[in-house]
This record gives sequence, structure tokens and C-alpha cells, in this order.
Amino acid sequence: MTDRISSLLDYTFDRRQDALRRDADWAPLLERFVAEKTPDMARARIGLCEMLRAEGEKPAFLDGERIAFTRTVRQIPDLHSDAEMDARRATGTAFGEKGVVFNITADFGPSIRDGLDARLSEMRSRLERARAEDDAAGIEFLENSILSVEAVLGLVERYRAAAEERGLTEIVEILSRVPRLGARTFHEALQSLRILHYAMWCEGEYHCGLGRIDQYLLPYFESDIREGQLDEDGALELLEEFFIACNRDSDLYIGVQQGDNGQSVMLGGVTRDGKPAFNDLSRLCLKACGELKLVDPKINLRVNKETPIEIYRLGTELTAKGLGFPQYANDDVVIPALERWGYAPEDARDYTVAACWEFIIPGCALDIDNIDAVNFPGALDTTLRTLASGGSGAEPPSFAAIEAAFLAEVKRRADALVAKYSHVEVLPGPFVSAISAGCIASARDLSCCAKYNNFGIHGTGISVAVDSLAAVRELVFEKKLVSLQELVALLDTDFAGRPDVLAAAKAAPKMGNADARADEIAQRVIAFWGHAFDGKRNDRGGIFRPGTGSAMYYVWHARELKASPSGRLSGQPYPANWAPSLDFPVKGPVSVVRSFTEPDLGLVSNGGPLTIEIHDSAFAMPDGVDKVAELVRFFVMRGGHQLQINAIDRETLLDAQAHPEKHRHLIVRVWGWSGYFVELDKEFQDQIIKRVELAAP
Amino acid sequence: MKGRVFEIREFTLHDGPGVRTTVFLKGCPLRCAWCHNPEGQRFEVETMRRRDGEEIPCGVDWEASALARELLINADIMLQSGGGVTFSGGEPLAQAEFVCEVSDLLHAHGIHLAIETSGHAPQEDFRSVVSRMDFVYQDLKHHDADAFRRWTGGDLALVLENVTWLRTSGVPFVFRVPLIPGVNDSAADRAALEALAAGAKVEWLPYNAAAGAKYPMLGRAYPLAKRGD
Repeated sequence: MTDRISSLLDYTFDRRQDALRRDADWAPLLERFVAEKTPDMARARIGLCEMLRAEGEKPAFLDGERIAFTRTVRQIPDLHSDAEMDARRATGTAFGEKGVVFNITADFGPSIRDGLDARLSEMRSRLERARAEDDAAGIEFLENSILSVEAVLGLVERYRAAAEERGLTEIVEILSRVPRLGARTFHEALQSLRILHYAMWCEGEYHCGLGRIDQYLLPYFESDIREGQLDEDGALELLEEFFIACNRDSDLYIGVQQGDNGQSVMLGGVTRDGKPAFNDLSRLCLKACGELKLVDPKINLRVNKETPIEIYRLGTELTAKGLGFPQYANDDVVIPALERWGYAPEDARDYTVAACWEFIIPGCALDIDNIDAVNFPGALDTTLRTLASGGSGAEPPSFAAIEAAFLAEVKRRADALVAKYSHVEVLPGPFVSAISAGCIASARDLSCCAKYNNFGIHGTGISVAVDSLAAVRELVFEKKLVSLQELVALLDTDFAGRPDVLAAAKAAPKMGNADARADEIAQRVIAFWGHAFDGKRNDRGGIFRPGTGSAMYYVWHARELKASPSGRLSGQPYPANWAPSLDFPVKGPVSVVRSFTEPDLGLVSNGGPLTIEIHDSAFAMPDGVDKVAELVRFFVMRGGHQLQINAIDRETLLDAQAHPEKHRHLIVRVWGWSGYFVELDKEFQDQIIKRVELAAP
Repeated sequence: MKGRVFEIREFTLHDGPGVRTTVFLKGCPLRCAWCHNPEGQRFEVETMRRRDGEEIPCGVDWEASALARELLINADIMLQSGGGVTFSGGEPLAQAEFVCEVSDLLHAHGIHLAIETSGHAPQEDFRSVVSRMDFVYQDLKHHDADAFRRWTGGDLALVLENVTWLRTSGVPFVFRVPLIPGVNDSAADRAALEALAAGAKVEWLPYNAAAGAKYPMLGRAYPLAKRGD
């Protein structure tokens, strides 16, 4: 790392950018919108313009910086009042989270290549056609989109002028070029990307991923190297500066927890035409992350059965540093799954992840891939209680009947979500639409008319539900330790008075121990879940994609539930995503991988990784990296869809909880993203500590 | 035949190349004062009692074919990674016939085999087991016969005889020396141990301060309780 990069890093760690910031009072703007009943599209444009005009964002330069743009206004404008949103909900409209465009990756490659001037001229000529055709919606979109792009370029011009005043000649030169015109060099491309990405956050989009930077930035990197403009160290330095910038404003970005900002990057995999895509720039991205040790951007690495072990080793070297990434995605499972769901083959091959791990297509899609979740242990709880209250005289159900009733309850909950999201609106984003594929040609905003409009449904606590079914079979039917009624009654009291039942529940077969008695149930549950939405469509023309993710739902759902037959006590957490229960130690990571790759994960490829904790002493051994890399490859060869590995030790986490000031750089993986441990709410900290306790030293 | 095992641990990191499973065989002829697996010393089945009262049974009898089957569940990742199975203990040579039977069943599937041994075993047991191994971790605990007897209860000559054969066996091996404060860690001790190794590779293992952790759970006292601080 060069001195320049290390001083930019210190600047960010010391949060010196805070001094550049001010608060804005957007209440009058919102009052005006409400009073004037301003249409959504105009609000989005006006909000962005107000944010970026001279009274809003101020050009700010950091010492030694070569890639400019730092947020200076803390708040972005609220465009709708709560009352307005509630009134719309009351008429049957649903929104995904905050209602705006989120969890996407813009079409950065072509936007950087062509420049915004090209988009403006396309929009102006498309506007003429819309006027000629009397296409009111088209006119509204294009007029607002043009003004939004002009507002961004206006701020760029003010940045350029301010740089000129300060004699920052390199920045003056570069901002005279991009993002107005197409980038010619790696440096210009990164500056252009920085501005486009920055502007999306200002428009109110959030969980804005960066996508496949090793693909769309590759031409600039290669031509600079070829022409001798840049050597590898020079490229690394620029890349590191860009990565640091991703951490500078991120505390202002919207998320459930600090760090949950969705700045994900996808490396490797295959190209749109199916060729191996891992390249020298992918390698450089991994190297930059390893040197910086920052939470952003969050690195994802696409692999497949052809991937050489060296690439797994490079990834594992990052894992060994305790960053909680890369997260791996398996092309062999994900690409066919996306094709089966109707994605064009070249789009499927181009997949990246949304904020955490939901598989999306960059540039052209508006999938709301985390719109809701089914609580699997909750569904089983409901099922068991219903069956147990069937009257003492009735013939007790067989285990097969219990499992069938549970799956029927899952289906009932899935259907309820389809109904709940029968009419979903997304608020427009005229700027992001200008840098997304297809919007200008169709003269429609991304929010209404993207190429893909599918919804994703998470499944929380699937392993807890499977373990519970296995425990019901063993305790009620095989060992006949309790009746179903007795077992259900014990769930309310956390097994009070029956330590024998609790012990037997904990000793029953579990997912994660490569025990067929649990794993075959999981196979059936996943096969059912994978087809639970077959034939259902949303009113945006999309489908519903089931997954194995949990997002933050795993904490919310577990809070509501009493004890589970698996031995989980009331209020105890579920594991995040697709992972073993937290109530028992597993045999080891090989068995975990084996269990969790038994089901057909191509059916549930909305996303949701298996998470494995490896004690960090593993990496003290010279060949620890090799062994963990082999474990990851084993997961891929067995048809796993997504995997993340954490290297961590419990004592460090406990010390960080007690002395946060000593551990402000300690990074952990949360439900789909890495964050600084000391910035998390205690509930999440405790869950992570519990997870780590189960990892064998 | 049957053998007695007190732990089967997967994804072990210190016991050889690739992804491995280590089988800990119960029972040992030695009583090394620093032993960190005291539950592996006795041949009888025992119970460890955790501080929270939970009882952990130690010692399960396995039919050789059943143990091989259990280990072969992970044959795929072992073969993929050049890993395999490592026999440890206790002293695996104390159940030599059993280890040989399991080894033959595993070798038939191309599984790489390693052993961690004190070498304190009758010659014929040492030779029959070691000749089946792909790699040997051979302990060198002390260079002096009296000290060896005092700290381990064993006979150094028996070990050295086996080591002499090991050198000529053609089986790749490494010496491992657990460095115990005040027992074998002086400069003179190390030089003497180095001389014993006679040019072969030596791994010096630092003293594990947590070595005594399991003794109270077995109702025993850790012989080196006052050391290592």
C-alpha cells in the first residue's frame, strides 16, 4: 500500500470527512410536495436537483485524492410523507421496503463507456418521438430524466471549477471529460463510476451494488497496461482509492444496521457468452481488498466446476484475514436456475448479487428479491398445534401426515404472500433509469418497466424446522418418549420438568451432521419450497423466486416463537440464512457442507448462503488456506449454490463487546454483508458469538 | 475385530496433508506428565463431567469395518484434496491389529493414511502398522532414558529401536518434539534431541498452556499443574 493510499485510509478511519458535512432541512420541500400533490416522477427529479444544486452538495477534495466526490449533505430529501404512503397502502398498494428503487446494479459498463452526453442526446431524440406520439408517460419520464442527468453534470461542473480554483490540475482534466463523455482510461472509468454511484445514493436509491467491476472496467485496465499508461501497481493504487471511497459516505446510506449498505462487487465466473471471466483485474480486486481490510465493497466470487484451486486459494487468503468475504456463488447451479426462471441465457451468465446474496442481473432488472419471508419453524409450530388440538379421542396422525400438513402450511403462507404483493408499486428514479438498459428506448422509468420484475421470498429457519421434524419423528414415533400433545405443551414451557425430553430433542438427528435421517427431510422440504410458487405471477409480469436466505427476518421471526421440537428454547435465534441450528455442536465443516448440499439448491436460487465459521487458528497452519480452499471447492462440486466462510475466534468477539474502543476495525459477517462488530446492535453481536461458539477449534 | 475410540474429529488441521479426519484411539502405555488428552490414556470406557454437569462418555467400541465405513463417508473430499485419515490417541499402536484392519479397508479406497505415535510398542506392532502408513509423525519426547522413564513411565530403548527401523522403512516421517518447560526445553536438551533426529526433520511443538484443561473433568489432577505459566 502506498503512503498516499494509507493516508486516505486514515482519513476515512478517523472519520475526518464528517467535518465536511452539514445537515439539511428538507421539511419545507416535502410540505410543498404534499400541498401541491406533486407527481412521483417530478418529486424524484426535484429531490435530486435540490440535493445537488449549489445550496446543497458542495465540492469537497481530500488531500492527495485522485478520484473526487464526497457527500457533504447528510440527509437526502423525503419525497413522500408517511400519511401519503399510508393512504396508498390503504388502497391496496404494497411497496418493497421504502418503496424506491433498491437492491439493484445500474448498467455501469455502457454508461461509463458512452458518457452521459450520449444518454442526453438519446433522450432528447426519444422525447421528440414521444411528443409526436402523444405519449404522456414517456414525455414525463424523459423530461425528468434529462433534468436529473443535467443536475448531476451540473455538480460535476462545479467540482471541476472548484478544482481549478485550487489548482488540482489532474482532477480538472478528468472532470472535464467524465462522466459527460466516455472514459478512455482506467482512472477516468473509476472516476466516472464513482460519480454515477454517488448520484444514485443522492437520488434515494439504496443497496446500490457495483456489480461485475472486473468485467466492465477490464477494457480500460487492459488498454492502459498495453499502452504503458499504467502498470499493475498504478492500477492497484487507483482501485484501492476507489474502494476506500466506498467507505467514506457509507454511514449515510440506508440500511437496517451499519454496514448493511449493499455495495457488493462480483468477481470471476463466466462472461455473457460463457467463457471463463476471472482475469488480472479480478486478481487485483482481491489484492486491494486484502490490503485495505475494509467492509466495503463486499466481495463476491463466482466459481464453477472448472475453477482452478488457485482461485479458491486467493479467495481463502481474504477469508483468513477475517473479512467475512469473499462470498462464493456457484455458476453451475445459479445460471441454470435463473434460465429456468425465464432469464435469457446471456443475462443469466451475467448475474451478480443484490445487497447481500440475492442473485440479480445487473443493468436491466428490477427484481424485488427480498420482498418477504416465510417463517419455517413458525409454520411447523402452527401445524403441530393444530394437529395436537385435534381432540384426544382422535387417531394421532402419522409422521408422514405431520410432514404433509407442515408443507401444506408452508404453501398456505406462500399463497398469502402472493396475495399480499398482488399490487406492488415502485417509486420512480429518473436518474438511475438513464443509466439502466432499455429505459430510454422504451421511454419508461426503471421502476415500472424493467426487463425483469420478479419477487424473491426468503425462507427463515429452514434447518430449525427440518431438525424439529426429525425430532418429532424420533421422540413421538420412534422412541415414543412423549405424545404429540405432550410435546406441544412442553414447547410453551421450554420443556419444564422434562429435561429428558429436552436432552432427547437435542440428541435427535440434525442437519449439519451428514445424518440422512435429517437430510432426507431437508431434501423433501426444499423440493417442495422450490415449487411453492409455480404458476404464480405478480402484476408486474414477474414470478416469485423462493430462496434459502433470511435477511434480518431470522431475528424477527425467532423472537415471536416459543420453543421448537429441535430443542431450541423460546426466543432463541435462528441461524442466519442456510446454516445449522445454533443449539448443538456439529461434527465439523465437512459434514455441514455435505448436509447442506444434499437438497437440490437450484430450486431455491433466489440466494441465501451456507455460512461456516472456521476458528482462526486454522489459518495459523501453513496449509490452513489450502484446506479451507478445498472445503469451498468441495461445496461447489457437490452443487452448493452460495457459501460464506468466517474466520473468527470467540475471545476476540467477547473482548470487543466489553472494550469496543480496542476493536473498532474488527469485521464480521452478519446476515449477508460484512460490518464492523462494534457498530452492531447487541442482539446481532450475541447471535454471532453464539454461532462462533459452535465452531470447533 | 473391535477397537476402542474416544473421538473422531473431521477437518483436523495439524495431522497431515489435505482435508483429514483424525481417529483418536483409546488407551496408552505411557503416562506423559504433560498429556493434553488424558481421556485417551486408560483403555477403559470413562465419563467426563463438564462444569455444567453434562456427562460426556469417552470410549466407543467400533467394529473395524463399521469405522472404515464411517470414515469413508468423507472419501470424496479426502481424495479431492489429497487428504485422508490420521490415527492418533492415546497410542494407536496399542491397538495395532485393529488399526491394521481399518487401514487396509481405507487403503483399498486410495485413502492417504498417517499416524501420530510415541513409538512405544512392540517391534512387530510398530512394523506392521507403520508399513501400512503413508506418513508417520514420530514423537521424540526425551533423549535421556532416565528422564524418559520419569516423565512418561516408558522405556526409551524400545522407542529408539523402532525409530531405527523407521529410518530404513522408506515411509516418510517427521519427528515431533513437545517442548515441556523444565523437562526437555533447555538448549542442551534440544541439542541432544537434534542429535537423536540425526538430520531428519523435527517439528518443535510449543507447550500448550491449556493442556491440563480436561483433568478436572475426569476427576484427576494435572501432573504439571504448576508449570507453563
